[in-house]
Amino acid sequence: MGDQKSEVLQGTLDLMVLKTLHAMGPLHGFGIARRIEQVSDGVLDLNEGTVYTALLRLQQQGWIKSEWGTSENNRRARFYSITVRGTKQLEREEENWERVAGVIEKVLRLERQR
Amino acid sequence: MRGRTLWARLKGQAAQRQEDEALDEEIREHIALLEERYRSQGMSARDASRAARRQFGNVTGLMERQRALRGILSPSEWWQDVRFGARMLAKRSISSAAVVLALALGIGMNSAVFTFVNALLLRPPQGVSETNKLIEVWLHNPKSSGVMGNLPFNYPDYTYYRDHAKSLEGLMACAEAGREAIWNHAGTGEILHGQLVSGNGFSLLGVNAVVGRTLSVDDDSVDHPRQVVVLSNSFWKQKLGGDAGAVGKTLMLNGAAFTVVGVAPEEFSGIVVGMQPDFWTPMAVQERFTHDKAMLSDRDSYSLIVAGRMRQGVDRKSVQAEMHLLAQQVALAHPKEQDVLDAMEYPLTLVPGPYRGYVGAFTGGLLAVFALVLLIACTNAAGLLLARATGRTREMATRSALGAGRARLVRQMLVESLMLAGMAGAAGVAVAWATSRLLIQLKPASIPLTLAIPMDWRVVLFTAAVSVATGIVFGLAPALRASAVEAARVLKEESQTAGRKKTRMRNVLVVAQMAMCVVLLAGAALCVRSLMNANAIDTGFDTHHIAVASLDPASLGYTPARINDFYVRLKERVERLPGVASASYVQFLPLGTARSETSVSKQLGKEPSPTMVSVYRMDSGFLRTMGISLLRGRDLTVKEAQSEKPGGVVINETLARMMWPGQDPVGKRLAMGDDKTMSEVVGVVRDGKYHTLGEAPVPVVFCGKLPTARILVVRAAGDDRLLLDELRREVPMVDPLMAATQVQTIEQHMALPLFPARTVGWLLGASGLMAVVMTTIGLFGVIAYMVSQRTHEIGVRMALGARRSDVLRLVIGQGVRLTVVGLGIGLCAALGAARLLAPLLYGIGANDPTTMSAVAVGLAAIAMLACYLPARRAMQVEPSVALRYE
Repeated sequence: MGDQKSEVLQGTLDLMVLKTLHAMGPLHGFGIARRIEQVSDGVLDLNEGTVYTALLRLQQQGWIKSEWGTSENNRRARFYSITVRGTKQLEREEENWERVAGVIEKVLRLERQR
Repeated sequence: MRGRTLWARLKGQAAQRQEDEALDEEIREHIALLEERYRSQGMSARDASRAARRQFGNVTGLMERQRALRGILSPSEWWQDVRFGARMLAKRSISSAAVVLALALGIGMNSAVFTFVNALLLRPPQGVSETNKLIEVWLHNPKSSGVMGNLPFNYPDYTYYRDHAKSLEGLMACAEAGREAIWNHAGTGEILHGQLVSGNGFSLLGVNAVVGRTLSVDDDSVDHPRQVVVLSNSFWKQKLGGDAGAVGKTLMLNGAAFTVVGVAPEEFSGIVVGMQPDFWTPMAVQERFTHDKAMLSDRDSYSLIVAGRMRQGVDRKSVQAEMHLLAQQVALAHPKEQDVLDAMEYPLTLVPGPYRGYVGAFTGGLLAVFALVLLIACTNAAGLLLARATGRTREMATRSALGAGRARLVRQMLVESLMLAGMAGAAGVAVAWATSRLLIQLKPASIPLTLAIPMDWRVVLFTAAVSVATGIVFGLAPALRASAVEAARVLKEESQTAGRKKTRMRNVLVVAQMAMCVVLLAGAALCVRSLMNANAIDTGFDTHHIAVASLDPASLGYTPARINDFYVRLKERVERLPGVASASYVQFLPLGTARSETSVSKQLGKEPSPTMVSVYRMDSGFLRTMGISLLRGRDLTVKEAQSEKPGGVVINETLARMMWPGQDPVGKRLAMGDDKTMSEVVGVVRDGKYHTLGEAPVPVVFCGKLPTARILVVRAAGDDRLLLDELRREVPMVDPLMAATQVQTIEQHMALPLFPARTVGWLLGASGLMAVVMTTIGLFGVIAYMVSQRTHEIGVRMALGARRSDVLRLVIGQGVRLTVVGLGIGLCAALGAARLLAPLLYGIGANDPTTMSAVAVGLAAIAMLACYLPARRAMQVEPSVALRYE
């Protein structure tokens, strides 16, 4: 794969951030970016600044909340965590994603008709 | 979700700066961590920094996006608009105040009328629980239509519905008419007003006693009724000094001892419009207060207002279905009755169900009139804002050039007009409060009617809605106009010329205003003229120099002989009073609320098509005392008037014409109702008005056999007002336990039939006056503005040799064009609208040409005056000054 990187699909970053927070517990922005990088094996071309836009959007919807705390290396950092409403929203979006992904997969598998 | 987003944004806004700083810190930290990582991977400091920045992306772009996300609905921008708007309004405080005042009057009048709509038709009566669960039930005769198709309940049917209705928690009844009772205390008699109510009434309505208890079902047992009363709060405070010890005491009412069990709360005055009882007493003791002894068993005595509370989860539709079912069951149980009655439910409001349509139409008409006044005020405000918008073209252009979007400019203008409307609305509430109290004063004093007109949340909500709508109506056009600026063009041109479009819009507004003004003024003029006609209408009896008083000694339980003795002695005493020309008795007065009808025919027994006539039972001498002129024959003799058997009668012209056209009716014989013997016509009187002032001739019979409740009619030689106190004094002189009610002059009595015309006349007069003032100001504003805009042009014209008269013609011509178009449209509309007024008008056609032309000429004259003042200024323009100025 090496140099071939994929763009982040519109709207999927919010889902990724939400799921990351759900899986890992409270994280700061840098941590979220690292986690997504790690999971994607460097396949995704993530403009890390956009993570913060996603965080603000999610916060305005009330799906995540933030708190100032101290990071592993003793520096002040804002920690984000998922809310109850966020967890519910995540469930809905996961289902939705799976449905859509299933459809896309089926479409892609279509054999060429003669 | 939206709300939450908005709140998040609001919070974000409040901490905009902190947010920016926090984000900045986060970003710096993030990049620093990335750099650290790259360095640990062996990059040079410079390469690591570059790689970190590349990985993070555009920092400035991000900051901007975040800010936009936080601040799209930016409240701080709204706040800016409000502050700026306040400054702009304050800058022209006088014209702003004028707009606010005009709008406040308009809004206030609408709210005042709505206060009545609310009190009468929308909310349950005051003091009654406001749960929307209360309904009223009326019997309904499907064969007749309108109000006449609805009947109050009779007691037997009420008990059947009460015991069988499953959709209702309970059904209560109260007497439709109040009961007058004589309260004997300290050797005197005083008239009190009472209301009969079923034992479950208070608890169903959710009314609790402030002292003691309310009535209970046990008080109202038909077999063992308790003589108890609940006092009204005002009676308790005014007559008993608000003494809590009054509970348990006894009152002597109509000669029987009643125990006071409690006092009702202050705001409660029953559920029937206009009644303000002094006391409530159980239905079962009704014999003490009425001559209708069989009321509780008589199926033909329809006199009960019935109301119930719906069960939880039941809607009005299912109640109606059940009422229909119960009506069918009652009809089955009484197969012999001719009229099969259905039952209808209505929401419980102060106005009884069947009359809701009429009151709604009347108040709706008033609302329409005042909405028109408000529209005129709106056009004035819009005109003013348009003029202002023109002055602010450069401001708008500058703002637009500096990057303000059109939406932002519209918003700025709308915020200003909404601020004006908001202030007007607040002032309008005060106007409404004052006006509604003033309106109550229009009610004739003779109607024992008290109206509580509470201003509750509905009125406030209505006022707020009207204010906002007003603000948008008059603000939107100027706002759109002002914001449609071509910045480049405006800023390039040095002069601030008024756009042609702007002038055209103001012209349209003035024409519309003029048209609406014609409609209102025509309506007002018609009503005032009809009121004058009504005052001059020939009622067939004297409307001056007569005093009247109502008497009912039977309520004291006297024997017929004693009652007769009372009346004879009273009449003797009154006739001896100085200033009294004559005195007599009648059952009730013409043009009052009560009436009695019977059938007459030329032979005894059943005639297929008998004539229905109004009957007035009277004493000898009534015709003379009342000033009803005899055309033929004579009055009844004392013997005829007092005879129990049918004897002589006096008829009016109309009946004479109907029964014996072209013949002399004196000496002819007729049969009345179920009489067993014929009566002889002894006299014919001139036609009069009996039920309403506008009615067509009605056939009437005057006969003897007065009932025990009578009206004393006294003819005064001089001022009838001087007699009132003497009459009040004479009654207890004859019998100390007796008291007279409704002691008044005939003029006061006449206030009742004149009431509808008077009210409408006043209201339309006031609205017409407001319309004229506002329209004049509007026209003046437009013309004055035109003159100020064309000063330069006028200067040029005069420099080129135009005379002052030419200038005058130029300016006035503009005003005349607007006025003529406005008058034309207005007259057409007025002719259409006047037709709605027709039923209220006396002796004047709705299209009365004199009135219409007078309105047109008057308005034209006022319009010319409004144009002349600016025109004079235009004439005085010095060409040299005007040209130099430019």
